[in-house]
Amino acid sequence: MSLELTASSIVVAATFFLIPTLGEIITERSGVLNLGIEGMMISGAAGSFAVAYTTGNIWLGLIAGMLVGGGLSLIHAIVTITFNRNQVVSGISLTIFGTGLSGLLGLGFAGLPLVPLQPLQIPGLSAIPFIGPVFFSKNILVYLSFIMVPVLWFFLYKTRYGIIVRTVGENPMAAYTQGIDVIRVRYLCVIFGGVMCGLGGAYLTLGWIPLWVEGMTAAKGWIVIAIAVVGLWRPVGVLFGAYIFGAFEVLQFTFQPLGIPPAFLNMLPSLTTILFLVMWGILLNRSKVKRIIGAPTALCVPFEKP
Amino acid sequence: MNGSRFYAVALVCIIVGAGIGFSAGYFIVGQPGPAPDPEMPRLKAGFIYVGPIEDFGWTSAHDQGRLYIENKYDWLDTAYIENVDPAEAGEHIDYLIDVEGCDVIFTTSFPFMDATIAAGARHPDTIFFHCSGYLRSDNVGTYFNDFYQLYYLNGLMAGALTQTGKLGYVAAFPIPELIRHINAFAIGAQEVNASTTIDVRWMNTDWFDPVTATNAANELLATGVDMLAFTEDSSAVPLVANATDDVYVFSHYSPMQSFAPTSTISGQLVHWEVMYEDIIQKIYLGQYNSTNLADVDYLWLLQEDAVELGGLFGVPINPIFIPDLQAINVVDPVLGTISVYDLVMTRMAQMSMANIIFEPFTGPMDFKNGTQWLSTGESADIYTLLGMTWFVDGVIGIIP
Repeated sequence: MSLELTASSIVVAATFFLIPTLGEIITERSGVLNLGIEGMMISGAAGSFAVAYTTGNIWLGLIAGMLVGGGLSLIHAIVTITFNRNQVVSGISLTIFGTGLSGLLGLGFAGLPLVPLQPLQIPGLSAIPFIGPVFFSKNILVYLSFIMVPVLWFFLYKTRYGIIVRTVGENPMAAYTQGIDVIRVRYLCVIFGGVMCGLGGAYLTLGWIPLWVEGMTAAKGWIVIAIAVVGLWRPVGVLFGAYIFGAFEVLQFTFQPLGIPPAFLNMLPSLTTILFLVMWGILLNRSKVKRIIGAPTALCVPFEKP
Repeated sequence: MNGSRFYAVALVCIIVGAGIGFSAGYFIVGQPGPAPDPEMPRLKAGFIYVGPIEDFGWTSAHDQGRLYIENKYDWLDTAYIENVDPAEAGEHIDYLIDVEGCDVIFTTSFPFMDATIAAGARHPDTIFFHCSGYLRSDNVGTYFNDFYQLYYLNGLMAGALTQTGKLGYVAAFPIPELIRHINAFAIGAQEVNASTTIDVRWMNTDWFDPVTATNAANELLATGVDMLAFTEDSSAVPLVANATDDVYVFSHYSPMQSFAPTSTISGQLVHWEVMYEDIIQKIYLGQYNSTNLADVDYLWLLQEDAVELGGLFGVPINPIFIPDLQAINVVDPVLGTISVYDLVMTRMAQMSMANIIFEPFTGPMDFKNGTQWLSTGESADIYTLLGMTWFVDGVIGIIP
């Protein structure tokens, strides 16, 4: 039993959740819920694979993935921000649309081989026993996910722009009266979320499993929405959330030989989310629930200029 | 504000318009045949697929079969519907019969079984064939190509080439077909190396779920496994082997050797066209009609050339592994001292003969509860194999 290989698999699996979740929390922090993650991820996966395969340039593939994700999120932004339509309906439609679009983008690319992003050994760090091979011998997107956590934390809590984003998500009218362009902030946040989802899809096909086949995300994108909640809409929180869910994905196969039914192990991620919410609900009183684990107040609330 | 709304509407229109334009050329299910000869009776076959025809696995293999018979016979037209949800299969079957005018319907996945039987009762004059099911009726026959002989041959090679003595198996769902494959793989591996063990991980999510399959394969590697076999529909497991040194793999269903050119030893390939050709010919000649299919159950193996050993068509064993297999000798009670390469080729020939003279499931073997299943030299009958729900010796893991 190699603990190192198991831990390494967890890092690889968790990155697939972490990248899109970091985008989704920024989107939700600005008051827009985007349930189209699965659609943006799978379209990003297809688009990035198609471009990387056609051009032979993996970096162009990554950019294509981000563009596809960003482009799809623009549809959501137009529907929910400009037209103030229901965010849940628009998001779910986006997932359905994105799943269909992925088939179109990937048409003719199914089953073709591609050389994925290669692991990059970080000098010095990768030589540390256990930690080195587990965390510092991965591809560049894994490192990007590491870096994005403190960067987004700094952005949200230590910069003026971060305060603007959070204010728009908590009380858009107050932000508006302060002269902030709420519409523009929300557009940018939604597009950032889309770009990160597209990048998450690109990580799947260019960084992890170098392959395009229809339906290959297998509805894993929905887990991102749960992680945003479990991670309390905080960059450091979702880092832990993504790694816990990544660990479930891998450890179910470690525990399977012990006689625990796979169906039960498959159930654990969703069960954990529910238990987590119940636990906080019991531990904290109502006002603390809102302050500590609450969603942005204006989440799902359309903003109309007075 | 009006200006930005205009652009927004324009953008949405462009996207939707582009989609409609593209799909108009893309989603046509019927294929125009050649100009019909009025003298010649025509036949139209409809296919219901569970996945996309580009899945590079199960559904694309069936679609290759469809294209083969469509091109081969002037009198045949075909139509298909892909990505069919089993809950909606009945309506899609009705569409193929009522609108497309199909005379024969092939439903190509196990979950379509009930819908096929029900449709058979609704359309008594139409001929139905259901893949991999066990229910039949007067106008519904069944058909399947099975791989267990190939898994046995793969097991011989895996047992000979493993360094750690531990083989891994990623399996989609705990059903008799997969248990039979795992057992055949184990029997082969133990024949050349009695101490070999096979570790099984069930995915239990979907036939096609590369993320879960990758996690399962990596977790098997963490336990010290150095040979991977699998029964699920993606090429995730060969990709894991390709990314890891000293790990080797057996391709499944499609020619996946290209995903792991230096790590794929062999694998299992299917030829649905052989079976579709036989069925459609017999329907055309009137041998099968809508009243005599209650006992028509195809189960084809190596003997009928319905399956093929290898990770690429025409390449039974990856040439880079042949010298190693030729260098390892085993002692067989009948064949004497023989190299593993020759053993594989001999067994394949024995199972390909018109009168099969070798069966991997040959006694002594026990049932799960320890009572005797097969006495020494006794061969399993196919019905027991089709309902197999227990592991043979050497397989580690649970059957949930």
